Amino acid sequence: MQSKGFKVFIIIIAIIVGLIFIVPILWMLATSFKTDQEAFTAGIKWIPKVFTLENYQFSLAGNSDTPVIQWMGNSLFVGIVGTLIVLFVDTLAAYGLARLDIPFKKLLISIFIGSLTIPWVITFLPLYMEFNKLGLLDTYAVLILPYSANAFGVFLLYQYFRGFPKELEEAAFLDGANKWQVFVKVVLPSARPVIWTLAIFTFMGIYNDFLWPLVTTNSPEMRTITTGIAIMQQGSFVSSPGRLMALTSIATIPAVLLFIIGQRSFIKGVTQSGIK
Amino acid sequence: MRNSGWKSQLTSSLFVLPYLILFVVFLLIPIGYGAWMSLHNWDLLNPVHEFVGFKNYAKIFDSSSYLNDLFLEGLKNTFQFVVFSVPLLVAVGLGLALLVNALPGKFKGFFRTVYFIPYAVSVSVVAIIWLWLLDTNSGLINQYMQKLDLPMIPWLTDMPWAWISLVIATLWWTIGFNMVIFINALNDVSEELYEAGSLDGASRWQRFIYITLPSIKPTMLFVVITSTIASFNIYGQPFLMTRGGPGTSTKVLLMNIVDEAFKQRQLGNAAAMSLLMALIMIVISVFQFKISNRKE
Repeated sequence: MQSKGFKVFIIIIAIIVGLIFIVPILWMLATSFKTDQEAFTAGIKWIPKVFTLENYQFSLAGNSDTPVIQWMGNSLFVGIVGTLIVLFVDTLAAYGLARLDIPFKKLLISIFIGSLTIPWVITFLPLYMEFNKLGLLDTYAVLILPYSANAFGVFLLYQYFRGFPKELEEAAFLDGANKWQVFVKVVLPSARPVIWTLAIFTFMGIYNDFLWPLVTTNSPEMRTITTGIAIMQQGSFVSSPGRLMALTSIATIPAVLLFIIGQRSFIKGVTQSGIK
Repeated sequence: MRNSGWKSQLTSSLFVLPYLILFVVFLLIPIGYGAWMSLHNWDLLNPVHEFVGFKNYAKIFDSSSYLNDLFLEGLKNTFQFVVFSVPLLVAVGLGLALLVNALPGKFKGFFRTVYFIPYAVSVSVVAIIWLWLLDTNSGLINQYMQKLDLPMIPWLTDMPWAWISLVIATLWWTIGFNMVIFINALNDVSEELYEAGSLDGASRWQRFIYITLPSIKPTMLFVVITSTIASFNIYGQPFLMTRGGPGTSTKVLLMNIVDEAFKQRQLGNAAAMSLLMALIMIVISVFQFKISNRKE
């Protein structure tokens, strides 16, 4: 249907647009291998004249106030544990609300769904005070727990379970299984794609959050990679583009690789979540 | 199996209980607690919090109070960012989706991934990369401008360039997400409609206006509302890239709330500001929703 000329034209446009997306990342990599002297020298050098690994060695050496590896570990830990908690409580709640006989079910459903319209900023300061009173600031708890209250996953899974055919469950009940067994053996396996979607959304949300971990942590070893880098940018690394870019490269490359692998599921997830 | 005895109800309730507890502790209680805080003179360091009724709100609306400046100026700056960024977030997102969809099959996945990659980068890395690209003297962009004999631009230190820089960095970072959602919606537009359109001699542009746009309207609304909310919540980019400058011209409302809470330690004032900000966001979302439904 499309002419060959049009095809070539579209591909050229796509490449030019692609460069806009890739150049900033390539420039970060190029700078990370330069000496600061060269980085500040006028003129555009994509390949460093003096190729140095000193910036990476310095960043990875992890002085006590800049433990980069620990930060990455924190971000991964917080993201994974937070996601597992969300998956656990959301699947249970959504199944209960969609299928089981629960007192005040209608009321609960409307409260949960209604809560989706509440902007996050409303709970920001009171949550901070709550954790402050509990003495849990600057711990993993404050970095993980607040995300578990979000009703998005309950809503997403509730929709899915409502549309799930009842026959499979009923057959299992007739075989003498109890609610818990039906949930684990029949319902959960069937919902794997939606659960995977929720997992990716939740993980990305926690991993990329900035303001909350910034104000609720203050010791260097409790920082996430996002907040740690932000602190570093304002402190010891401020005058060294080479070190700064080495640091951001270290933080970015694994995330980008994981993302390239995971994005297919993410896109599939968007399709299945019914966001359209 | 569906015996509705109290015993069965009890075991069923256990399914909802874990989430319900988290919901109450980390959402419901904070909402009430925040409203309560906003009615007090709540100094972070002072253990006694005096009840002041709606005085904190009155201060926000009293033009002689510093809170009034803080709130209105922050709100104005946030609004500016919303107004500059949202149309682009929607239009460029849709444009990229159309571009990817127009590509021959084997190129689609590749370019979709390329445009989506910055989404994996965290906001502090986005800020650092763009600060370095936009640096007035050593930045890559001004170096290229110089090569082309164009004037060097003070990207981060002058208006309106500071806003333009923040919008560019934000687009680069998040546009892939909107693109993916649009691609998804475009794939759902019925092929038959396009064929009928072609038979009637509709041009590419006409098919876009009369077939594509109406078909993806619900997605459009979703993207508009979510982008508006995200832009309202902007914090990291101005905090890290312009520090609210030049002057206070990119100091957004959320930055003022955080300063009032943690620099001035006036949590009561800050909580009142948060509540008003949330209220404004809700009103705007409802408004967007209503407008888009009226046109039907």
